[in-house]
Amino acid sequence: MNEILAVAVAAVISWLNFVLVDTWMGLPEAPGVKGADVIGRSIKERGGDLAGGFFQGNIVCSPDASAGTILAAVACYAIGTPEGGFIAAVLVYFGNRMCADPGYAGTTGALTMTCIIAATSLIGFTPAEFVVGMLIAIVTIQGLYHQGSSRLLGKIAKKMGRYTKLT
Amino acid sequence: MIIHVNVWYTLISYILAVGFAVITGLILRLPLLPERPMRRSWTVSAIFPTAVLALGFTAMVFGLGYEGTGYRGMLIGIFVGILTALFCRFLLEKVVPKPKSEELHE
Repeated sequence: MNEILAVAVAAVISWLNFVLVDTWMGLPEAPGVKGADVIGRSIKERGGDLAGGFFQGNIVCSPDASAGTILAAVACYAIGTPEGGFIAAVLVYFGNRMCADPGYAGTTGALTMTCIIAATSLIGFTPAEFVVGMLIAIVTIQGLYHQGSSRLLGKIAKKMGRYTKLT
Repeated sequence: MIIHVNVWYTLISYILAVGFAVITGLILRLPLLPERPMRRSWTVSAIFPTAVLALGFTAMVFGLGYEGTGYRGMLIGIFVGILTALFCRFLLEKVVPKPKSEELHE
């Protein structure tokens, strides 16, 4: 398979995995810690969306599905599939608990990513392509244009019934 | 597609680890599921995190070189599953305690 195409497809799959799992687990609903609240309100002040800002703040402040997704990909690359993904889920869980987070989003993201890597390996995808893909995916959320990405995350949160009730 | 017989043994070992972790957790009076809404619950239950940790700990043992082939892998799965349930029931809250209410991830 063409490697560039594989990385692009892996980026899209990784993006969908962590955004949908994190939104489903309620990251846009409320900031988990004070740092996430500060980031969310700062993004809103600059013209972004509050729920999307809370989402972005929460994934900075604790290892949620984004961390689970990339750790699962790295661990599958380093250790093997599915062992690496299961080990990543445990590490993310303990990381979550240390960051005042119950750990559902991170472990769910790691386990769903492990399943995705195992399934897509049958059509030629490798864990390395998912490592690169996830890096690209997280850059589109956290690294390019916070106002735009937070508005998109806010729209997704509204569609999934997870929009924040805070003002 | 050919799946080697060892893969099936490893898969069965993981299933046994999860199964024994859940059953031992229920025997130790852990709830089957956290209370709703689950995504905000801090309750340690038989499914989460016991089953997830059992999967991970079994993978760690296999990753360290104890191959999950044949009946030995299944015994490792059963052993790790039971140990994980005991860990979750008696030690987890001490190792990674629930934070104070003002720090909670809502």
